[in-house]
Amino acid sequence: MDALVILIPLMPFLAAVMIGTGHLFGVIKGETSETFTSLTASWAISMSCLLALALLGADFLQRNNGTFDVGLWLSSDTFECALNFVTTGFNVKLAALFAVLLMIFMRFSINYMHREAGFHRFFFILSLFSSAMLLLVLSGSVLGTFVGWELAGLCSYLLIAYAYDRPVAVANATRVFVTNRIGDAGFILGVGLSYAWAGSVNWADLNAAAADLSKGEATAIGLCFTIAAMAKSAQLPFSPWLARAMEGPTPSSAAFYGAVMIHAGVFLIIMLAPLIGQTPLVMGLLIFSGSTTSLYSYFIGLTQADVKSSQVFATSGQLGLMFLECGLGFWELASWHLCAHAVVRCYLVLTAPSIMHNVKDVPIKPVSAMLANKHWLFVASIQRFWVEQITDWALVKPVRHLARDLSYFDDSIVDRLMGAPAPAMSVASSLAQLEGRTLGASLENGNNSFATGTGLIGAFAGWIAGLVHWFEDRLVLQGISKDALYFGREMGHLANKFEVLVLRPRYLVLLVFITLLVAF
Amino acid sequence: MGILSALLWTPAVGALIIIFTPNHHTQLIRWIANIVTTLSFLISCFVIAAYDQGNAALQFSEYFTLNPKLGGAYALGLDGLSAPLIVLATLLTSVALLASFSQTKEIKGYHICILMLEFGMLGVFLSQDWRFFYIFWELTLIPLFILIDRWGGKRRHAASLNFVLYTMGGSVFMLLSLIAIYQYVPGHDSLMTKMSLAARHMPQHLQVLAFLGFLVGFGVKMPIFPLHGWLPLAHVEAPSPISILLSGILLKMGAYGLIRTVTMLPEAAHVLQSLLVFLALFGMIYGGLLAWRQTDLKAMVAYSSVSHMGIVLLGIAALNETGLKGAVLQMVAHGLIAGAMFLLVGLLYERTHTRNIQDYSSLVQVMPRFAVFMTLTLFAAMGLPGSVGFIAELHTLIGGYQRWGWLMALFSISILISAAYAIRTIALLFTGPVRPQLQHIQDLRPFELIAAGILVSGILLFGLFPAPLIELSTSTLAVLGHQESTGL
Repeated sequence: MDALVILIPLMPFLAAVMIGTGHLFGVIKGETSETFTSLTASWAISMSCLLALALLGADFLQRNNGTFDVGLWLSSDTFECALNFVTTGFNVKLAALFAVLLMIFMRFSINYMHREAGFHRFFFILSLFSSAMLLLVLSGSVLGTFVGWELAGLCSYLLIAYAYDRPVAVANATRVFVTNRIGDAGFILGVGLSYAWAGSVNWADLNAAAADLSKGEATAIGLCFTIAAMAKSAQLPFSPWLARAMEGPTPSSAAFYGAVMIHAGVFLIIMLAPLIGQTPLVMGLLIFSGSTTSLYSYFIGLTQADVKSSQVFATSGQLGLMFLECGLGFWELASWHLCAHAVVRCYLVLTAPSIMHNVKDVPIKPVSAMLANKHWLFVASIQRFWVEQITDWALVKPVRHLARDLSYFDDSIVDRLMGAPAPAMSVASSLAQLEGRTLGASLENGNNSFATGTGLIGAFAGWIAGLVHWFEDRLVLQGISKDALYFGREMGHLANKFEVLVLRPRYLVLLVFITLLVAF
Repeated sequence: MGILSALLWTPAVGALIIIFTPNHHTQLIRWIANIVTTLSFLISCFVIAAYDQGNAALQFSEYFTLNPKLGGAYALGLDGLSAPLIVLATLLTSVALLASFSQTKEIKGYHICILMLEFGMLGVFLSQDWRFFYIFWELTLIPLFILIDRWGGKRRHAASLNFVLYTMGGSVFMLLSLIAIYQYVPGHDSLMTKMSLAARHMPQHLQVLAFLGFLVGFGVKMPIFPLHGWLPLAHVEAPSPISILLSGILLKMGAYGLIRTVTMLPEAAHVLQSLLVFLALFGMIYGGLLAWRQTDLKAMVAYSSVSHMGIVLLGIAALNETGLKGAVLQMVAHGLIAGAMFLLVGLLYERTHTRNIQDYSSLVQVMPRFAVFMTLTLFAAMGLPGSVGFIAELHTLIGGYQRWGWLMALFSISILISAAYAIRTIALLFTGPVRPQLQHIQDLRPFELIAAGILVSGILLFGLFPAPLIELSTSTLAVLGHQESTGL
């Protein structure tokens, strides 16, 4: 049964490839192909759902070996990374749950997205995302998980910017993606440290080696992965991205930020339970961030006036509780909480569009009087505790200033020294440019402007080239050939003159006399 | 009569046949010449196929004593040094003839001269006797002088005269050195092997003087700065097919002779090593900067030849096996690249009658095939990986680095300069606004396509699979490199 595990992430991936290439080459397009796309996507995810359930059944019957090795993916010197999957325990349960949920989303989306522009694109991304999530959950190596992690992040970016013609959507997508990258940096660092200290990038080996690691090493690895988890699961200070992520279509929001992807962080923490369990500092961090996030989400949730925002903060609050449970060492509870929350939130977010209809005439219960009187709390809640503004001020602004300064340095110093990297010969690339040049720069002398570079080095090269050219022209070409020819001709003339003189009769007679005189 | 004699005399026989062909049968003359060059190309391919790469000694040797009293002998032979060069010579002659189909003036004389030139070149590469070598060396001068002087451009008389004067001047020094070494040969023999042995017994100062003589003689041909004065004019004024031969093979004769000299007089080479490296690096940068300044396309290619032959000199001057390998590879690489470049520039000139690069723009739209070949060739000229130029430059760089270390930074600068003018040429020729007067240029015709295709595919093929080319000369160069570096 173990071998089935390959197919679980592979099926949706193949569906994504089919839809993607078909759409790229124009085979799949418009409303007529909707049936094909939706059938492909839903069949693929249904198949992997069935396979995941079968795997789960086999796991319950204890027919699974625990891991399945496909082969070596990459080996370099002592570093080896196998392509392997986990086929028992929490991973399989979660995979089955996620597969079922994803199948529901897929089925829901077929009607929801009908006749939307970008129907095919949506199903391409959703299939790819399903494959990524299942890979993330089932992979036996940290790197495999990371591949799924990144792919899921990319899909989230693509779906938030689903309506890419709206600047708000694009800006939000970028913001979410960049925030998530902070976590990704932690993940990569964690992978590197795991290899350096624990000597392996397999989950099982890493957790087994955890006992041998020194306290500092375990803490460092745990911290790196915890930061990744906090970013992915929207814990403070990363929380604000979740609210921005609601930009995409409802089914995608439900899949990504309600039920599936948002739980990847908690999943990561649970996977590393043996390692994190022995590092009090990381546990403390989990308790702290989990509890503050739940409180923060609770207070903000009180003042939210629209359904989606309420859901968002409810989600992050629940996730905070899960982090808290992990931090306190209740791993089992956290994993059950994860599964239960996934199911409930799936239902809640999917029904969000119709909730107004359902709760008509049922007034929202007001908050307690003690809270209602705290005006500053209301302001803070409405402003979401200024978390985003604070991060902007602390991180974004300095980076932006640094970029501006570097750009200034580049323009005014480096470019001036090294020459602009732009077309060095200032070739006019369009007719308009050519016209502009002929109109504006009439002083241009073809020969002089030909071999010139920009910047100090360019000018230096041009100057040297000029010098060399003068040398070549004057000495090598003219000096040796022309002057030598001229000199030779002059010598020839002289010799001719002498010859003519010598052959005149009077000089000839004189010569004969001299010879005779010498002879006698 | 051995296979090498057959190879050597084929062009001469072809020239003889053409002499007896009536003047007005121009097509017949063309075909005879083409068939003869193709035949010699095939023979040279056959020779290479039969050549044993693992054997470092001379192969296919032929020896007849011509003049027992003075020791002159008809001695031919092939080793790993001359093997790539004879194929290059026969290949480029075929290509030059393919490019000569547009030549209409005095077909008969033209083809006789080209065949005689091929005869001379093959003789230089095949002869194993210095006396014989010298005769063929001088023999190449005559057809070349006539070719440039009769079929050249506007300043052809000055160019041909200049060329002959320079080369003759150099040859005089070479002859003096040969005679100086000849004095020390016991049995009055001028075989290369015997001369090499005799040269060991010369006093060191005489060795150095003899080496300087050879350096002048071969340096003119190669060309080494500052003896390159004939080259720009001759290359620019010669008809394009002749430019192909001139830069493709004639320059290699100088480098070939210099390598033979270095192995004959290793002690002197060690004494003068710094001078050689200085000349090489200086020449490379000098040629590159001048190429950068040229607005005339042919002059640009001519000066880039000075720069690229500097790489050959650098490889020789490294005086180790890797450097020598780099030099031989660069000879082949430059033969193909400069040949292709002169061919393409010549074809362009035939169509537009201007060589000024600033007159061109956006040619890619009307001449896509030309653009592809020219771009690939220019990329190869700047030593881009995937082209044979890269393999050669890499070997030379490694050889030079083993000997001279960080001085090779200058080598990099010269590569940088060559990249600058190559990229600029591509930009000026193929991009930019569309000009109406350049809208009706014909793209490459079938024969031209074959000629350019052979050269460019050679450039790419040996760039991607350099092993056969390297293997061809490895064993000989291992022996020569050992002689060089130890002085034995």
